[in-house]
This record gives sequence, structure tokens and C-alpha cells, in this order.
Amino acid sequence: MKQEYLVEGPLTSSLISALLTLDNDDTGAGAISVFVGKVRDDEHEGTKVTAIEYSAYPEMAETETEAIITLVRSAFSDVRNVIIVHSTGIVKAGEASLFIMVTAGHRDQASRACRHTLELVKERLPVWKKELYSDSAEKWK
Amino acid sequence: MVKVLYFGIAQEIAGTVEEEFAAEGTDCLRKMIAEKYPRMNAVSFRLALNGRLLTAESSLKEKDRIAVLPPFAGG
Repeated sequence: MKQEYLVEGPLTSSLISALLTLDNDDTGAGAISVFVGKVRDDEHEGTKVTAIEYSAYPEMAETETEAIITLVRSAFSDVRNVIIVHSTGIVKAGEASLFIMVTAGHRDQASRACRHTLELVKERLPVWKKELYSDSAEKWK
Repeated sequence: MVKVLYFGIAQEIAGTVEEEFAAEGTDCLRKMIAEKYPRMNAVSFRLALNGRLLTAESSLKEKDRIAVLPPFAGG
């Protein structure tokens, strides 16, 4: 089954649980490193962030995600799988919007490759966000 | 004509998701967009051609899709 890179709405705990078990059959993977990004209720001029509305360029997001995965695999020879899922649409404060999972033979490369994947996602994934505030204001970030 | 797709704050400035321009190159297209939407000058946008990020100016042909990409903000 093809892995979806973009998911409408928050990444629910049931989705994250399912993603965590994707590589259960890979008995050569001794380490799994996971990053979950959540929406923070930052204060902004006396109000708080209540949610973020994400939008994306799906066609490019797919090619860029695949490029990121290829880059990470080539940079870390011990990596066995890389999974990246990002939300689109509205995600409330406290909810998850980004999931990255890297499986590797050993912990060192799993951990470093996960961090590297996150930096590449921030740099290359065509996703935009608009913060929505408690006073109904909104701002592109 | 080429199809221009707007994303993020560029979509809000243009007030539309997409529109067509008669442009033979991206340098010309950038000027046309900036003239039509002066607020776009405050956005350091990059362009993608048919889903691929451009790292240099490019010529354009009929039915090309150009995406206007403000700085990414995923995560």
C-alpha cells in the first residue's frame, strides 16, 4: 500500500499507533526513532494560538518527500525505512501535525537520521501555516 | 498562456488559487506578478515549474504550471 505523505486534519493517536507498527515485520531493525511535532499554544499580542491551518502543494510535497527519503537513505547506510506524514487543514493546539519515523539497524543512525529528516522536512516540504488566535485573528507564519 | 498557482500568503494576496499569464519566461512572469500584486514584493517567494523547484530562471511554454511558493513553514 502506498504511504500517504499528507493527511487532512490532526495526526490522531490511532494513526500514529498504526504508523508505529508499519515495520513490525522487519526483524533486522534494531532501532526506531520517532519525532512527533505538535501545535503549541504560543502567546501572541495578548492572545493565544488555538490552532494552525496548514496548506500544501500536494504534487510537489510528494516528490519532495520522496527526495528527502532518498537523501536520508543515502546519507545513513544503516537506515532501513523512513516515514514522513504531515497534516493539512486545521490542527488544534495540543494536536500532532508532523510524524517522522526512521528505522535502522542500530540506535545511533536511527536517532541522527530522524533529526536530519526533520531538518530536511522544514527546509524542503512545500507546506505553509496560518496561526489562528483566540481573538479570531489569524497570521501567516 | 501558463497557469500560475498561488500558495500560502501568496494565495491570500492574489485572492485566487490560480490564474493564467502570457509569459515567455519566469523573469518576465515575476515582474508581471509583482506589478499586478504590489504586496507580493514583500514576500520572498520562489517558483516551481511543473512541480519542481526552480533554482534559476527558466523559459516557459504553453500550459506550463508555475507555482508561487512563499517560504515553507511545515512542522
